Amino acid sequence: MSPGRSTVWRLAAGLAAVVLITLTYTKWLHVSNPAILSATYLMVVLVVAATSRLWVAVVTSFAAVLSFNFFFLPPVGTFTIADPQNWVVLFAFLAVSLVASNLSAVARARTQEAVGRRDELARLFDLSRDVLMMTQSREAIATLARSIARRFDIAFVAIALPRESGWDISEAGLRTIVLDEGQLTAAFAAAQTSLEFDAYARTYAGHRTMTIGADTIRLVPLRAATRPVGLLAAAGRPLEPGTLDALAGVVALAIERARFLEERKSAELTRQSEELKTALLASLGHDLRTPLTAIRVAASNVKASWLSPEARNEQSDLIVAEVERLTRLFQNILDMARIDAGAVATESRWAHPSEIIAAARDQVEHALRNHRLMVHVDRDVPVRLDPRLTAAALAHLLENAAHYSPAGTAIDVAAEIVDEGLSIRVRDHGPGIAAADLPHLFERFYRGAETKGRVSGTGMGLSIARGLLAVEHGRIWAENCPDGGATFTILVQAKTREPEAAASPVA
Amino acid sequence: MTRDARILLVDDEVSIQRAVVPLLRSRGYEVDVAGTGEEALKLVADRTPDLMVLDLGLPDLEGTEVCRRVRAVSRLPIVVLSARGAEADKVNALDLGADDYVTKPFGPEELLARIRVALRRVQSEQDAKTGLFRAGDLTIDYDRHRVLVGETEIRLTPKEFDLLSLLARNHDRVLTHRTILKAIWGPNAVEQPEHLWTLVAQLRKKIEPDPASPQFLLSEPWVGYRFSTGRSDP
Repeated sequence: MSPGRSTVWRLAAGLAAVVLITLTYTKWLHVSNPAILSATYLMVVLVVAATSRLWVAVVTSFAAVLSFNFFFLPPVGTFTIADPQNWVVLFAFLAVSLVASNLSAVARARTQEAVGRRDELARLFDLSRDVLMMTQSREAIATLARSIARRFDIAFVAIALPRESGWDISEAGLRTIVLDEGQLTAAFAAAQTSLEFDAYARTYAGHRTMTIGADTIRLVPLRAATRPVGLLAAAGRPLEPGTLDALAGVVALAIERARFLEERKSAELTRQSEELKTALLASLGHDLRTPLTAIRVAASNVKASWLSPEARNEQSDLIVAEVERLTRLFQNILDMARIDAGAVATESRWAHPSEIIAAARDQVEHALRNHRLMVHVDRDVPVRLDPRLTAAALAHLLENAAHYSPAGTAIDVAAEIVDEGLSIRVRDHGPGIAAADLPHLFERFYRGAETKGRVSGTGMGLSIARGLLAVEHGRIWAENCPDGGATFTILVQAKTREPEAAASPVA
Repeated sequence: MTRDARILLVDDEVSIQRAVVPLLRSRGYEVDVAGTGEEALKLVADRTPDLMVLDLGLPDLEGTEVCRRVRAVSRLPIVVLSARGAEADKVNALDLGADDYVTKPFGPEELLARIRVALRRVQSEQDAKTGLFRAGDLTIDYDRHRVLVGETEIRLTPKEFDLLSLLARNHDRVLTHRTILKAIWGPNAVEQPEHLWTLVAQLRKKIEPDPASPQFLLSEPWVGYRFSTGRSDP
């Protein structure tokens, strides 16, 4: 062990203090009372022993004894000790330095241990915080291995989880070591059959080591309660067995947590898809049966001989309208399936906002027959976006506005070019959106609690609009107007043509 | 009929109204239309219709609630339209006093037939309590507790006779399992449909020409039984 830089400095300081005291007492103060002298030297020895290593204290006490002997004890100027009492002084010096430096060494070791503990506790705390922050369960274990390696400065960490056959190993750290799966399996099997607590080391037995090349890797079983769920492997900086155990505990908790998260997610997904299925069936049941009944009855009416020409026309109009309703429903179901399957493709081209609005209006002409559509386009310059998707999304908003506002009222449509692209606002003069419905408005099959019975609909339109816009990286939101009615806004990212370029004819 | 029967159509779907109203008018019925339950209750009081065609999925009131409130004041026959396909709704409506049901999507003839039967049943209600009832070869003598198939007298147990006369008195109309069980075995038996299955099977063996494909005692799956006189279509 080479003496550290600070140790050398302490030695120099101790010796300098001895020289200083000697000079002070011989040259200036001329003190020769052995009691004062020995007390002063002893103080230096004590200070050095308390703050530095044992050998520094011993060297300092020899220097002090020699100086005392040479300069102050008769016969002065020699190292001879005339009075045997002075041997006692020498031994006292040595004993004091030994005892004091031992005491200080113990205290220092305790402090260091405490600091180390605190340090490890802090690391463990940080690690458990990492664990609690983990949400993405798939990546969780790899992230955890990385945090252990980082927080504990370990060169190699691996979390090994048994699979049906073989192991799932997540590694982290600066070193790469290929773990031997046979040894992992053996260690895991041992952990499964025995659980011992080593009361002396305060650790669960079952720690093993495995040697690969020059590396010694420590294996610690991960236990959820007492059941082993995997192994933690660590190499590099040696860690206390207790620390390793605590680490393994945290990792085991993290694994359990990841599993719970995953289970909850899949349960949630199952529940949602069940709900969707039920809602879809209920809504389709009603929305298919009504037009089908109307068509069936109207078709026989048309065939009957008793009908006047006007009545016959009216019946055939009814059939056309109901077929349109079915077609739209069918289109919605298809769109929804395409959005779910990620099969909606975008195709950007230049289009005028007024074109998009006209296209949307055409799609839902039938639904809009009882409303006045007031269109306002701020600047009708070409924008580059997918006009088909935008118009389809807008059509859903128009249909929605017509459904939820009284017949005869106006629906305002305002298009505006903004920094991000094209914004289209649809404003109705209906009752507005109930506060309870606002957060769920764009959920599939969600129907406002108030309007559910009064207005027929499937709850698909707004969710399809959102789905279509998401493909275009667009946004959609809803708000109530201060003076009544609801406003839906869509915002689609789009490039605009410069005004001078816009003047040229559009291809 | 001294006057054309007046029918109240209750359905919130405009398309159904637009198709069904001309259909009913063309068959000589007077038709009133209501789009909500409250409106329907008001029209029942104001216009005293002879029959109500009631959609179960109304915006304001449950269709079953409309049934219950109408029954509280009137014997008006009710034919229920159910778009839900759920048997529970129909059974509920029937238990609450509806006379019959048609499931959407229905054809025009199906609806007209149910309406005719329901109207006729009201007219024959008074003479149904006593005297003779005839359907095909089957003759029921309510007063003497005798049943004849052709010229042959059939011996029925008292329960069998009760069931047969209950169904025959409500001929061409669905009676729910619950209604029948309650009428014959009392209110404590409503949860024991197996009594009814057994009894119907015995009765079919005795009165049906071919018990395997019954002509009089028809099952309405998951709903109840109907005594068919075979006269629902003119």
